[in-house]
Amino acid sequence: MSSGENAKSVMARLPLCQLPAGECGRVYELVGEGTFKQRIRELGFGESSLVTKISGRSPVICSVNGTRVALNHGAASQILVERCAVRS
Amino acid sequence: MSLPSHLGETARNSPAPARHTPTYALVGNPNCGKSTLFNALTGLKQKVGNYPGVTVEKKVGTAYSQHGQPITIVDLPGAYSLAARSPDEAVTRDVLLGRRSDTTAPDRILCIVDATNLERNLYLVHQIMDLGRPVILVLNMMDLAAKAGLQISIDRLEKELGIPVIPCEASQGKGLIELKVAMSRSDLPLPRHSWTIPAPIAPAVSELQASLVDHSRKSALSARAEALLLLTDQDSVRVAGSTPLDGRTLGILHTWQKRWESEGMDWAGSLVSSRYEAIGRLCAEVVRAGSSDRSAANVSDRIDEVVTHPVWGWAILGVIMVALFFSIFTFAEYPMTWIDDHVASLSDWVKGVMSEGDLRDLITDGAIAGVGGVVVFLPQILILFFFIGLLESTGYMARAAFIMDRLMSKVGLNGKSFIPLLSSHACAIPGIMATRTIEDPKDRLVTILVAPLMSCSARLPVYLLMIAALVPNDRVPVMTKVGIMFGLYGIGYLGVFGFAWLFKRTLFKGRPPVMIMELPPYRMPRMRDVLLHMVERGGLFLKRAGTLILAISILLWFLAAYPKSHDGATPQEQMTHSFAGKAGHALEPLIKPLGFDWQIGIGLVASFAAREVFVSTMGVVFNAQDTGEESTPLRQALLAAKWPDGRQLFTPLTCVSLMLFYVFAMQCISTIVIVKRETNSWRWPLFQLGYMTSTAWIVSFLVYQGGRALGF
Repeated sequence: MSSGENAKSVMARLPLCQLPAGECGRVYELVGEGTFKQRIRELGFGESSLVTKISGRSPVICSVNGTRVALNHGAASQILVERCAVRS
Repeated sequence: MSLPSHLGETARNSPAPARHTPTYALVGNPNCGKSTLFNALTGLKQKVGNYPGVTVEKKVGTAYSQHGQPITIVDLPGAYSLAARSPDEAVTRDVLLGRRSDTTAPDRILCIVDATNLERNLYLVHQIMDLGRPVILVLNMMDLAAKAGLQISIDRLEKELGIPVIPCEASQGKGLIELKVAMSRSDLPLPRHSWTIPAPIAPAVSELQASLVDHSRKSALSARAEALLLLTDQDSVRVAGSTPLDGRTLGILHTWQKRWESEGMDWAGSLVSSRYEAIGRLCAEVVRAGSSDRSAANVSDRIDEVVTHPVWGWAILGVIMVALFFSIFTFAEYPMTWIDDHVASLSDWVKGVMSEGDLRDLITDGAIAGVGGVVVFLPQILILFFFIGLLESTGYMARAAFIMDRLMSKVGLNGKSFIPLLSSHACAIPGIMATRTIEDPKDRLVTILVAPLMSCSARLPVYLLMIAALVPNDRVPVMTKVGIMFGLYGIGYLGVFGFAWLFKRTLFKGRPPVMIMELPPYRMPRMRDVLLHMVERGGLFLKRAGTLILAISILLWFLAAYPKSHDGATPQEQMTHSFAGKAGHALEPLIKPLGFDWQIGIGLVASFAAREVFVSTMGVVFNAQDTGEESTPLRQALLAAKWPDGRQLFTPLTCVSLMLFYVFAMQCISTIVIVKRETNSWRWPLFQLGYMTSTAWIVSFLVYQGGRALGF
C-alpha cells in the first residue's frame, strides 16, 4: 500500500501527544530506549504504521490495526508521526 | 535467508512423536480469549500451581479427544512477543524454549489469535512457528471479525502456513469439536515457515545457532529460534528456575552486538520489521476487508468517551468501588457468621470427644482456632475476586487502570499498578502476585513494597474490635463507625501514595513512567469464566490456610502454652508465664510510649503471624477469668482492663493509636514469605518489614504522645 502522499498538504511531523484527536498519523520515528522501541514495534506500532488518535487527553487513546491502545504522555511523546493528509 | 534446506528436510521427515497424551501449550496475546478457550476445553479439570521460584501461575488442564484420550494443556501467560518484558512473559518464553526444568517442553503448541486483529496477533505466532514444533492456529472471535467486515480465507492461511487453522468462537463453544479433532491428530505437520532474515543479521543467527546446538544439544530449529530471540531480547529478563545462557553463546552475542553498535545498526528493530513485513504480505493475501459494520467498534469508543472522561470516569470508578466495598462488608456477613458458628461447634465437638490435655488444646486452640480465624475471610475474598473477575472480563479493568494512571503518575507509578493495589484490599498476597504483569522492574518492586499498606481484610477484625471499644454501640450512629473505617482506609491510601512517591524519588530513581496498554473492546462478562476464576482463587486461599497458617497457628499455640505454669493456673496466668507472655513483657518498654502494655504486646507478637490473630489473642488474654460460664463480651473485657496503677488501659487514645499501628505495621508473615519469593532475596521483605513497622511506631507514638499533651 503506498502512503498516499498528497502534494498539496504539508507533512507536519510531530510527536503523537500533539496530534489532534480524531486525526490520523503515520509513525516515522521512535525515540527512547531500546526496550521501549522494541515493545512499541512488537505491538504493531512500528515505523510506517497508521495511527488514529481517538482521545487527546492524557493518557491518550489511539487506534492501531483496529485495536485501542492507551499511552501516557511519556510514551506518546516518544512516537513521532507524520500527519496524514486530511481527506476532504 | 530462508530456512537452510537440510534443516527443513530433517524437520519435515520427523513427524511429531505420536504419544498417547501429547502435551499442548496454549499461547496467545492478552485479551484474545485464551482463558475462555482454556476453560472451554478443560472445564473443571484444571490444576493451578506456581512455577517454582516465581509467583507466576502455572495452569494445567486436561481435555479429552473425540475418542476419550486425555490431552494435557498447559496454559501459558498471555504475551505479545517471546521477547519477554515481564516475569510472566519470561515464563511463557522459557517453557516454550525448554529452558525450565520444572516443566517439560510441550510437544505441540496451540496458538490462539484474535481474528479481528490478525496482523498484531500473528507476530507472536510467527515467532512460535520458528520453534520447530507442530502448531495449531485457532482464529478466535470470528463473529466479531465478520461484523468488522473482515473476510479471512482459512484455506489460504492453512496453505500458506502449512498448519491446521481452526476458526472458532470460544465464548459460544463454536469450533471446539473441530479443534479437538485437530488436536487428536497423530500426524500434525510442522509449519511451512520461511521468512527472510535481514542479510546483515543472518551470519550472527547461524553462529549463535551452532553454539546453542553444541552446548545444549537442542534441535537445530529450536536453537535457531532461540538465537533469533536472543537478538531481540533487550533486557533478557531471567527468572528463577530458568536455565541461564552458556558463556560461549553469550560471548558470541556480545561480539555481534558490539559490532552492530559501532556500525549504527538497529538489529532488533530490523528483525521486528522484517517479521511484520512477512506478516503484512500474508495478511494481504488472506484477509479481505469488505464493508464493515462499524457499530461494534463505535459502541466501545462511545462507552470509552464516558468511562475515560476526566470527570465521569472518576465518578463511575467511585461508584464501582463503593459497590465493591458495600458487597464485601454486607453480603459476606451471613456466610461469615455461618463459618464462625461451625468452627465453634467443631471446636466444641472435639472438646466433647477428647479428654482434656495438651493434644486437645493443640487441636482446638491451635489448629481449629487459628485456621478458622482465617477461613472466616473466605466469603469476602470470594466476593472480591468475583468483582475483579467481572471487571476484567467486561474489559473495564483496563479502563480503571487508565483512569488511575493520572493519579499514579503523580507518584511516579503507572496505571498498571492499580490492579495489584486493588486486589491488596482483600489480601496483599494476590495483590503482590498480580504485580507480575508490570513491565518495569522498578515500578514492580515499588508496587510490591507499598501493596501491604492497602488495608486488607485481615485488618478488618482488628479495626472492628477497636472501633467497638472506642465508640459505644448504642449511643453513636452507625455512620460514625463507617466514617472511622473509611478514615482508616484513607490513611492506608495516604501511606501507599506517600511511600510510592518517596521510593520513586530516592531508592528507585528512574525514567518517567511509560505506559502502553491495550484497551480491549467491551464484552459481555462470561459468568462461567468469572466463577471459575473466583473458585480458583478461593482454592488457593484455602490451601494457604491449610498449610502455612496451620503451621504458624500450631507454633503460636505452643508459644502461648509453654512453658507450663503451675497446676490449676488460670489461662491468664498461663499466658503470662508462657513464651508469648515473656515476649510481651520484653516488648513493653518499647511499646509503652504508644500506650500499649505487655498484654497488648502479646497480641502484637502473636498477630505477626496474621493480623486477625490479634483479636483471638486479646480474647485469651483479657477474657480468660471466667471459666466455662457465660463469657463477657470481649469489648466489655477490654474496657475493664487496667494498667497496674489503676488507669484505664483502652482509653480512646490507645484505641486510636492501636488502629493506626495496624494501618502501617507489616504484621503478616505470609506476605514476607511471598515478597521473598517474588524478589528472590531477603533484602526487600526485610526492608519492607523495617520501614512499615517503624512508620507504624512513629505514627502511633506521635498520635499517642500528642494526644496526651493535648489532654486526651
